[in-house]
Amino acid sequence: MTNQKSAIQAQRLSKRIGDRRVLREIDLEIAEGECVALTGSNGTGKTTLLRCLSAIARPTSGKVYWFGRPAAADPAQRRLIGMVSHESRLYAHLTLRENLVFAARLFSVADPGERAEQLLKQIGLVSLADRQVGQISRGMGQRLALARALIHDPPILLLDEPFSGLDRSSRDWLARLLHERREQGRTLCFSTHDEQQTGQIADRTLTLSGGFLTGHPVVADQSMEENRHRHAA
Amino acid sequence: MASKLWWLIHKDLVIEYRVRQAWPAMLLLGIIVAVVFNLQMDLLPEQRPAAAGALLWLAILFAGLVAIERTGAAEQQDGCWDGLVLFPLPSSLIYVAKLAVNFIALLALECVLVPLFVVLADIPLLRHAWAMLLVAVLGSLGMAAVGTLVSAMTHGLRQRGAILSLLVLPLLLPVVLAGAEASRLVAVGDVGTQWWRWVQFLGAFAIVFTTLGIVLFGFLVEE
Repeated sequence: MTNQKSAIQAQRLSKRIGDRRVLREIDLEIAEGECVALTGSNGTGKTTLLRCLSAIARPTSGKVYWFGRPAAADPAQRRLIGMVSHESRLYAHLTLRENLVFAARLFSVADPGERAEQLLKQIGLVSLADRQVGQISRGMGQRLALARALIHDPPILLLDEPFSGLDRSSRDWLARLLHERREQGRTLCFSTHDEQQTGQIADRTLTLSGGFLTGHPVVADQSMEENRHRHAA
Repeated sequence: MASKLWWLIHKDLVIEYRVRQAWPAMLLLGIIVAVVFNLQMDLLPEQRPAAAGALLWLAILFAGLVAIERTGAAEQQDGCWDGLVLFPLPSSLIYVAKLAVNFIALLALECVLVPLFVVLADIPLLRHAWAMLLVAVLGSLGMAAVGTLVSAMTHGLRQRGAILSLLVLPLLLPVVLAGAEASRLVAVGDVGTQWWRWVQFLGAFAIVFTTLGIVLFGFLVEE
Protein backbone atom coordinates (compact mmCIF):
# COMPACT_ATOMS: atom_id res chain seq x y z
CA MET A 1 0.00 0.00 0.00
CA THR A 2 1.30 3.46 -0.79
CA ASN A 3 0.60 6.63 1.12
CA GLN A 4 -1.15 9.21 -1.10
CA LYS A 5 0.54 12.05 0.82
CA SER A 6 3.95 10.80 -0.24
CA ALA A 7 5.60 12.56 -3.13
CA ILE A 8 8.23 9.83 -3.32
CA GLN A 9 8.14 6.43 -1.77
CA ALA A 10 10.70 3.66 -2.15
CA GLN A 11 9.93 0.17 -0.94
CA ARG A 12 12.70 -2.37 -0.31
CA LEU A 13 14.79 -0.70 -2.99
CA SER A 14 17.97 -2.55 -3.92
CA LYS A 15 20.45 -1.86 -6.67
CA ARG A 16 23.34 -4.03 -7.69
CA ILE A 17 26.00 -2.69 -10.05
CA GLY A 18 28.19 -5.55 -11.23
CA ASP A 19 29.01 -7.58 -8.13
CA ARG A 20 28.51 -4.66 -5.79
CA ARG A 21 25.29 -4.17 -3.85
CA VAL A 22 25.06 -0.39 -3.84
CA LEU A 23 21.62 -0.07 -2.25
CA ARG A 24 20.18 -2.65 0.15
CA GLU A 25 16.44 -2.88 0.70
CA ILE A 26 15.92 0.80 1.28
CA ASP A 27 12.56 2.02 2.52
CA LEU A 28 12.11 5.73 2.07
CA GLU A 29 9.23 8.15 2.09
CA ILE A 30 9.34 11.84 1.25
CA ALA A 31 6.17 13.78 1.87
CA GLU A 32 4.75 16.32 -0.56
CA GLY A 33 6.40 19.70 0.13
CA GLU A 34 9.19 18.19 2.19
CA CYS A 35 12.88 18.90 1.69
CA VAL A 36 15.22 16.00 2.39
CA ALA A 37 19.01 16.03 2.38
CA LEU A 38 20.92 12.90 1.54
CA THR A 39 24.40 12.63 2.99
CA GLY A 40 27.11 9.99 3.06
CA SER A 41 30.72 9.62 2.07
CA ASN A 42 31.83 9.27 -1.53
CA GLY A 43 30.76 6.05 -3.22
CA THR A 44 28.00 5.20 -0.77
CA GLY A 45 25.31 5.26 -3.43
CA LYS A 46 23.72 8.71 -3.14
CA THR A 47 23.80 9.20 -6.90
CA THR A 48 22.50 5.69 -7.50
CA LEU A 49 19.64 6.26 -5.06
CA LEU A 50 18.69 9.53 -6.79
CA ARG A 51 18.89 7.81 -10.18
CA CYS A 52 16.56 5.08 -8.96
CA LEU A 53 14.18 7.62 -7.40
CA SER A 54 14.07 9.52 -10.70
CA ALA A 55 13.51 6.25 -12.64
CA ILE A 56 16.60 6.86 -14.79
CA ALA A 57 17.99 3.61 -13.38
CA ARG A 58 15.87 0.53 -12.81
CA PRO A 59 16.25 -0.94 -9.32
CA THR A 60 17.45 -4.56 -9.09
CA SER A 61 14.51 -5.13 -6.77
CA GLY A 62 11.96 -3.01 -4.97
CA LYS A 63 9.61 -0.28 -6.12
CA VAL A 64 9.56 3.49 -6.43
CA TYR A 65 6.31 5.45 -6.35
CA TRP A 66 5.65 9.07 -7.26
CA PHE A 67 2.51 10.42 -5.63
CA GLY A 68 1.36 6.87 -4.95
CA ARG A 69 1.76 5.59 -8.51
CA PRO A 70 4.58 3.36 -9.78
CA ALA A 71 7.34 5.66 -11.04
CA ALA A 72 7.43 6.20 -14.80
CA ALA A 73 4.87 3.44 -15.44
CA ASP A 74 3.61 5.89 -18.04
CA PRO A 75 6.15 8.20 -19.77
CA ALA A 76 3.83 11.16 -19.17
CA GLN A 77 4.48 10.76 -15.42
CA ARG A 78 8.04 11.96 -15.96
CA ARG A 79 6.61 15.48 -15.87
CA LEU A 80 6.45 15.01 -12.10
CA ILE A 81 10.25 14.91 -11.85
CA GLY A 82 13.02 17.39 -12.45
CA MET A 83 16.59 16.36 -11.84
CA VAL A 84 19.96 18.05 -11.65
CA SER A 85 23.05 15.86 -11.59
CA HIS A 86 26.86 16.16 -11.69
CA GLU A 87 26.66 16.20 -15.47
CA SER A 88 24.93 19.17 -17.03
CA ARG A 89 22.79 17.10 -19.47
CA LEU A 90 23.04 20.05 -21.83
CA TYR A 91 23.95 19.89 -25.50
CA ALA A 92 27.29 21.66 -25.85
CA HIS A 93 26.64 22.68 -29.47
CA LEU A 94 23.23 24.21 -28.85
CA THR A 95 22.88 27.68 -27.40
CA LEU A 96 21.59 28.28 -23.89
CA ARG A 97 18.23 29.34 -25.30
CA GLU A 98 18.05 26.39 -27.72
CA ASN A 99 18.73 23.93 -24.88
CA LEU A 100 15.90 25.35 -22.79
CA VAL A 101 13.47 25.66 -25.70
CA PHE A 102 14.24 22.07 -26.75
CA ALA A 103 13.51 20.80 -23.23
CA ALA A 104 10.37 22.95 -23.00
CA ARG A 105 9.07 21.54 -26.27
CA LEU A 106 9.62 17.95 -25.19
CA PHE A 107 7.86 18.68 -21.88
CA SER A 108 4.96 20.25 -23.84
CA VAL A 109 5.37 23.59 -22.05
CA ALA A 110 2.76 26.04 -23.36
CA ASP A 111 5.04 28.78 -24.70
CA PRO A 112 8.58 27.31 -24.93
CA GLY A 113 10.26 30.54 -26.05
CA GLU A 114 8.65 32.63 -23.33
CA ARG A 115 9.37 30.05 -20.61
CA ALA A 116 13.02 29.81 -21.71
CA GLU A 117 13.34 33.60 -21.60
CA GLN A 118 11.76 33.73 -18.15
CA LEU A 119 14.20 31.14 -16.78
CA LEU A 120 17.20 32.74 -18.46
CA LYS A 121 16.30 35.97 -16.65
CA GLN A 122 15.84 34.07 -13.39
CA ILE A 123 19.31 32.50 -13.60
CA GLY A 124 20.89 35.75 -14.78
CA LEU A 125 22.15 34.43 -18.11
CA VAL A 126 19.86 36.24 -20.53
CA SER A 127 22.79 38.18 -22.01
CA LEU A 128 24.51 34.89 -22.92
CA ALA A 129 21.37 33.24 -24.27
CA ASP A 130 22.67 32.89 -27.82
CA ARG A 131 26.06 31.53 -26.83
CA GLN A 132 26.69 27.80 -27.19
CA VAL A 133 26.80 25.87 -23.91
CA GLY A 134 30.35 24.70 -24.65
CA GLN A 135 31.47 28.32 -24.41
CA ILE A 136 30.22 29.10 -20.89
CA SER A 137 31.77 28.35 -17.48
CA ARG A 138 30.92 25.33 -15.34
CA GLY A 139 29.08 27.45 -12.79
CA MET A 140 26.94 29.02 -15.51
CA GLY A 141 26.35 25.55 -16.94
CA GLN A 142 25.15 24.41 -13.54
CA ARG A 143 22.69 27.31 -13.38
CA LEU A 144 21.44 26.42 -16.84
CA ALA A 145 21.14 22.75 -15.87
CA LEU A 146 18.95 23.80 -12.97
CA ALA A 147 16.83 25.97 -15.27
CA ARG A 148 16.44 23.02 -17.60
CA ALA A 149 15.28 20.83 -14.70
CA LEU A 150 12.73 23.50 -13.72
CA ILE A 151 11.50 24.18 -17.25
CA HIS A 152 8.25 22.25 -16.70
CA ASP A 153 7.88 23.37 -13.07
CA PRO A 154 8.01 19.82 -11.65
CA PRO A 155 6.45 19.09 -8.26
CA ILE A 156 9.47 16.95 -7.33
CA LEU A 157 13.04 18.18 -7.76
CA LEU A 158 16.00 15.85 -7.21
CA LEU A 159 19.47 17.35 -7.04
CA ASP A 160 22.75 15.45 -6.95
CA GLU A 161 25.33 17.53 -5.05
CA PRO A 162 24.02 20.80 -6.45
CA PHE A 163 26.36 22.97 -4.36
CA SER A 164 29.62 21.35 -5.42
CA GLY A 165 31.79 23.44 -7.72
CA LEU A 166 29.79 26.64 -7.16
CA ASP A 167 31.30 29.86 -5.90
CA ARG A 168 29.85 31.59 -2.83
CA SER A 169 27.41 33.82 -4.68
CA SER A 170 26.15 30.92 -6.80
CA ARG A 171 25.70 28.81 -3.66
CA ASP A 172 23.69 31.58 -2.01
CA TRP A 173 21.65 31.98 -5.17
CA LEU A 174 20.93 28.23 -5.31
CA ALA A 175 20.05 28.11 -1.61
CA ARG A 176 17.57 30.99 -2.15
CA LEU A 177 16.06 29.21 -5.13
CA LEU A 178 15.62 25.99 -3.18
CA HIS A 179 14.01 27.95 -0.32
CA GLU A 180 11.60 29.48 -2.84
CA ARG A 181 10.71 26.02 -4.17
CA ARG A 182 10.05 24.87 -0.61
CA GLU A 183 7.84 27.87 0.03
CA GLN A 184 5.89 26.97 -3.11
CA GLY A 185 5.23 23.53 -1.63
CA ARG A 186 7.49 21.64 -4.01
CA THR A 187 9.21 18.47 -2.89
CA LEU A 188 13.00 18.54 -2.82
CA CYS A 189 15.61 15.87 -2.27
CA PHE A 190 19.28 16.67 -2.63
CA SER A 191 22.54 14.91 -1.92
CA THR A 192 25.30 16.93 -0.33
CA HIS A 193 28.50 16.90 1.71
CA ASP A 194 27.80 20.39 3.01
CA GLU A 195 26.43 20.20 6.56
CA GLN A 196 25.75 23.94 6.70
CA GLN A 197 23.50 23.85 3.65
CA THR A 198 21.82 20.71 4.98
CA GLY A 199 20.89 22.41 8.24
CA GLN A 200 19.68 25.57 6.53
CA ILE A 201 17.48 24.01 3.87
CA ALA A 202 16.44 20.47 4.74
CA ASP A 203 13.56 19.27 6.91
CA ARG A 204 15.25 15.92 7.37
CA THR A 205 18.70 14.50 6.78
CA LEU A 206 19.21 10.90 5.75
CA THR A 207 22.59 9.22 5.64
CA LEU A 208 23.61 6.44 3.29
CA SER A 209 26.22 4.04 4.56
CA GLY A 210 27.06 0.55 3.34
CA GLY A 211 23.98 0.59 1.14
CA PHE A 212 21.66 1.25 4.09
CA LEU A 213 19.79 4.42 4.87
CA THR A 214 19.90 5.84 8.38
CA GLY A 215 18.15 8.85 9.88
CA HIS A 216 14.37 8.99 9.61
CA PRO A 217 13.63 7.37 6.24
CA VAL A 218 9.89 7.51 6.82
CA VAL A 219 8.32 10.90 7.28
CA ALA A 220 6.96 11.97 10.65
CA ASP A 221 4.45 14.75 10.00
CA GLN A 222 4.98 16.40 13.36
CA SER A 223 8.77 16.71 13.05
CA MET A 224 8.34 18.06 9.52
CA GLU A 225 5.94 20.72 10.72
CA GLU A 226 8.38 21.66 13.46
CA ASN A 227 11.14 22.06 10.90
CA ARG A 228 8.86 24.15 8.69
CA HIS A 229 8.21 26.53 11.55
CA ARG A 230 11.91 26.62 12.38
CA HIS A 231 12.81 27.53 8.78
CA ALA A 232 9.98 30.06 8.55
CA ALA A 233 11.21 31.72 11.73
CA MET B 1 3.88 13.29 -30.61
CA ALA B 2 4.79 14.08 -34.22
CA SER B 3 6.07 17.52 -33.22
CA LYS B 4 8.25 15.98 -30.48
CA LEU B 5 9.63 13.53 -33.02
CA TRP B 6 10.45 16.44 -35.29
CA TRP B 7 12.23 18.37 -32.52
CA LEU B 8 14.33 15.30 -31.62
CA ILE B 9 15.37 14.92 -35.28
CA HIS B 10 15.87 18.67 -35.68
CA LYS B 11 18.16 18.79 -32.64
CA ASP B 12 20.42 16.03 -34.02
CA LEU B 13 20.54 17.64 -37.47
CA VAL B 14 21.37 21.09 -36.05
CA ILE B 15 24.16 19.59 -33.92
CA GLU B 16 25.55 17.66 -36.91
CA TYR B 17 25.41 20.84 -39.02
CA ARG B 18 27.41 22.72 -36.38
CA VAL B 19 29.87 19.95 -35.50
CA ARG B 20 30.20 18.50 -39.03
CA GLN B 21 31.58 15.26 -37.68
CA ALA B 22 29.70 12.34 -39.26
CA TRP B 23 28.41 13.63 -42.59
CA PRO B 24 31.62 15.00 -44.14
CA ALA B 25 33.56 11.84 -43.16
CA MET B 26 30.75 9.65 -44.47
CA LEU B 27 30.48 11.49 -47.81
CA LEU B 28 34.24 11.62 -48.28
CA LEU B 29 34.64 7.90 -47.58
CA GLY B 30 31.74 7.11 -49.93
CA ILE B 31 33.24 9.17 -52.74
CA ILE B 32 36.73 7.66 -52.27
CA VAL B 33 35.35 4.11 -52.26
CA ALA B 34 33.22 4.84 -55.35
CA VAL B 35 36.13 6.41 -57.27
CA VAL B 36 38.60 3.61 -56.34
CA PHE B 37 36.12 0.85 -57.18
CA ASN B 38 35.24 2.40 -60.51
CA LEU B 39 38.80 3.24 -61.55
CA GLN B 40 39.88 -0.36 -60.85
CA MET B 41 36.91 -1.82 -62.74
CA ASP B 42 37.91 -2.88 -66.23
CA LEU B 43 34.85 -4.77 -67.37
CA LEU B 44 32.91 -5.34 -70.55
CA PRO B 45 29.81 -3.10 -70.81
CA GLU B 46 27.42 -6.02 -70.21
CA GLN B 47 29.30 -6.99 -67.01
CA ARG B 48 29.21 -3.50 -65.56
CA PRO B 49 25.66 -3.37 -64.15
CA ALA B 50 26.18 -6.44 -61.95
CA ALA B 51 29.54 -5.26 -60.65
CA ALA B 52 28.44 -1.64 -60.23
CA GLY B 53 25.28 -2.64 -58.31
CA ALA B 54 27.34 -4.61 -55.80
CA LEU B 55 30.03 -1.94 -55.52
CA LEU B 56 27.44 0.80 -55.04
CA TRP B 57 25.90 -1.00 -52.07
CA LEU B 58 29.29 -1.85 -50.60
CA ALA B 59 30.23 1.82 -50.80
CA ILE B 60 26.93 2.74 -49.12
CA LEU B 61 27.56 0.13 -46.41
CA PHE B 62 31.12 1.19 -45.58
CA ALA B 63 30.45 4.93 -45.68
CA GLY B 64 27.07 4.54 -43.97
CA LEU B 65 28.77 2.85 -41.02
CA VAL B 66 30.41 6.18 -40.20
CA ALA B 67 26.98 7.78 -39.70
CA ILE B 68 25.57 4.74 -37.91
CA GLU B 69 28.51 4.69 -35.50
CA ARG B 70 27.74 8.31 -34.61
CA THR B 71 24.12 7.46 -33.69
CA GLY B 72 23.31 9.19 -30.44
CA ALA B 73 26.76 10.83 -30.34
CA ALA B 74 25.14 14.04 -29.08
CA GLU B 75 23.83 12.12 -26.08
CA GLN B 76 27.15 10.49 -25.21
CA GLN B 77 28.50 13.67 -23.61
CA ASP B 78 27.60 15.47 -20.40
CA GLY B 79 24.96 12.90 -19.42
CA CYS B 80 22.62 14.00 -22.20
CA TRP B 81 21.30 10.46 -22.52
CA ASP B 82 19.89 10.67 -18.98
CA GLY B 83 18.40 14.03 -19.93
CA LEU B 84 16.64 12.40 -22.87
CA VAL B 85 15.35 9.57 -20.66
CA LEU B 86 13.86 12.12 -18.25
CA PHE B 87 11.60 13.57 -20.93
CA PRO B 88 8.03 12.25 -20.96
CA LEU B 89 8.61 10.31 -24.16
CA PRO B 90 8.15 6.65 -25.02
CA SER B 91 11.52 5.05 -25.78
CA SER B 92 10.16 3.98 -29.18
CA LEU B 93 9.93 7.66 -30.16
CA ILE B 94 13.61 8.16 -29.36
CA TYR B 95 14.42 5.10 -31.50
CA VAL B 96 12.36 6.41 -34.41
CA ALA B 97 14.07 9.81 -34.15
CA LYS B 98 17.54 8.24 -34.20
CA LEU B 99 16.49 5.97 -37.05
CA ALA B 100 15.19 8.95 -39.01
CA VAL B 101 18.49 10.83 -38.59
CA ASN B 102 20.44 7.80 -39.86
CA PHE B 103 17.95 7.34 -42.71
CA ILE B 104 18.38 10.97 -43.80
CA ALA B 105 22.18 10.59 -43.66
CA LEU B 106 22.08 7.43 -45.80
CA LEU B 107 19.71 9.05 -48.31
CA ALA B 108 22.07 12.03 -48.59
CA LEU B 109 24.93 9.61 -49.17
CA GLU B 110 22.98 7.86 -51.94
CA CYS B 111 22.12 11.20 -53.54
CA VAL B 112 25.88 11.60 -54.05
CA LEU B 113 26.90 8.00 -54.79
CA VAL B 114 24.20 6.99 -57.29
CA PRO B 115 24.95 9.84 -59.77
CA LEU B 116 28.67 9.24 -59.19
CA PHE B 117 28.28 5.59 -60.20
CA VAL B 118 26.20 6.63 -63.22
CA VAL B 119 29.04 8.85 -64.38
CA LEU B 120 32.07 6.76 -63.38
CA ALA B 121 30.77 3.27 -64.22
CA ASP B 122 28.68 4.48 -67.15
CA ILE B 123 25.62 2.46 -66.11
CA PRO B 124 22.08 3.82 -66.49
CA LEU B 125 20.97 3.54 -62.84
CA LEU B 126 18.67 6.54 -63.35
CA ARG B 127 16.98 5.18 -66.48
CA HIS B 128 14.11 4.20 -64.19
CA ALA B 129 14.71 6.83 -61.53
CA TRP B 130 11.56 5.96 -59.53
CA ALA B 131 12.66 2.30 -59.34
CA MET B 132 16.14 3.26 -58.14
CA LEU B 133 14.60 5.69 -55.65
CA LEU B 134 12.42 2.92 -54.20
CA VAL B 135 15.42 0.59 -53.85
CA ALA B 136 17.47 3.36 -52.23
CA VAL B 137 14.71 4.35 -49.79
CA LEU B 138 13.95 0.79 -48.65
CA GLY B 139 17.62 -0.20 -48.51
CA SER B 140 18.45 2.89 -46.44
CA LEU B 141 15.53 2.25 -44.11
CA GLY B 142 16.70 -1.33 -43.49
CA MET B 143 20.28 -0.19 -42.90
CA ALA B 144 19.18 2.62 -40.58
CA ALA B 145 16.85 0.31 -38.63
CA VAL B 146 19.58 -2.29 -38.03
CA GLY B 147 22.27 0.33 -37.37
CA THR B 148 20.16 2.23 -34.84
CA LEU B 149 19.14 -0.98 -33.07
CA VAL B 150 22.71 -2.31 -32.82
CA SER B 151 23.91 1.13 -31.81
CA ALA B 152 21.49 0.97 -28.86
CA MET B 153 22.78 -2.53 -27.99
CA THR B 154 26.35 -1.25 -27.82
CA HIS B 155 25.39 1.92 -25.93
CA GLY B 156 27.92 2.64 -23.20
CA LEU B 157 30.43 -0.06 -24.23
CA ARG B 158 34.10 0.88 -24.30
CA GLN B 159 34.97 -0.80 -27.63
CA ARG B 160 31.71 0.41 -29.10
CA GLY B 161 32.96 1.16 -32.62
CA ALA B 162 34.58 -2.24 -33.19
CA ILE B 163 31.71 -4.22 -31.66
CA LEU B 164 29.15 -2.20 -33.61
CA SER B 165 30.89 -2.95 -36.92
CA LEU B 166 31.18 -6.65 -36.06
CA LEU B 167 27.46 -6.86 -35.35
CA VAL B 168 26.19 -4.57 -38.10
CA LEU B 169 28.15 -5.94 -41.07
CA PRO B 170 26.74 -9.50 -41.06
CA LEU B 171 23.23 -8.25 -40.25
CA LEU B 172 23.31 -5.89 -43.22
CA LEU B 173 24.54 -8.49 -45.69
CA PRO B 174 20.97 -9.28 -46.87
CA VAL B 175 20.36 -5.57 -47.57
CA VAL B 176 23.60 -5.29 -49.56
CA LEU B 177 22.77 -8.41 -51.62
CA ALA B 178 19.16 -7.39 -52.26
CA GLY B 179 20.11 -3.77 -52.96
CA ALA B 180 22.86 -4.86 -55.36
CA GLU B 181 20.58 -7.21 -57.28
CA ALA B 182 17.69 -4.75 -57.43
CA SER B 183 20.08 -2.00 -58.62
CA ARG B 184 21.50 -4.32 -61.31
CA LEU B 185 17.98 -5.00 -62.59
CA VAL B 186 17.27 -1.25 -62.68
CA ALA B 187 20.49 -0.70 -64.66
CA VAL B 188 19.58 -3.33 -67.26
CA GLY B 189 16.05 -1.92 -67.49
CA ASP B 190 14.33 -5.04 -66.08
CA VAL B 191 11.99 -3.58 -63.46
CA GLY B 192 9.52 -6.46 -63.62
CA THR B 193 8.59 -9.32 -61.31
CA GLN B 194 12.13 -10.26 -60.32
CA TRP B 195 12.99 -6.67 -59.41
CA TRP B 196 9.75 -6.38 -57.45
CA ARG B 197 10.66 -9.49 -55.40
CA TRP B 198 13.93 -7.89 -54.31
CA VAL B 199 12.09 -4.67 -53.47
CA GLN B 200 9.59 -6.65 -51.40
CA PHE B 201 12.49 -8.32 -49.60
CA LEU B 202 14.05 -4.92 -48.81
CA GLY B 203 10.66 -3.65 -47.59
CA ALA B 204 10.08 -6.70 -45.37
CA PHE B 205 13.61 -6.42 -43.92
CA ALA B 206 13.05 -2.74 -43.10
CA ILE B 207 9.65 -3.43 -41.50
CA VAL B 208 10.96 -6.34 -39.39
CA PHE B 209 13.97 -4.46 -38.02
CA THR B 210 12.10 -1.19 -37.51
CA THR B 211 9.46 -3.09 -35.52
CA LEU B 212 12.16 -4.90 -33.53
CA GLY B 213 13.83 -1.58 -32.78
CA ILE B 214 10.58 0.02 -31.63
CA VAL B 215 9.86 -2.92 -29.32
CA LEU B 216 13.38 -3.54 -27.99
CA PHE B 217 14.98 -0.08 -27.83
CA GLY B 218 13.69 0.72 -24.34
CA PHE B 219 15.07 -2.54 -22.91
CA LEU B 220 18.42 -2.15 -24.66
CA VAL B 221 19.20 1.30 -23.34
CA GLU B 222 17.82 0.81 -19.85
CA GLU B 223 20.34 1.03 -17.03
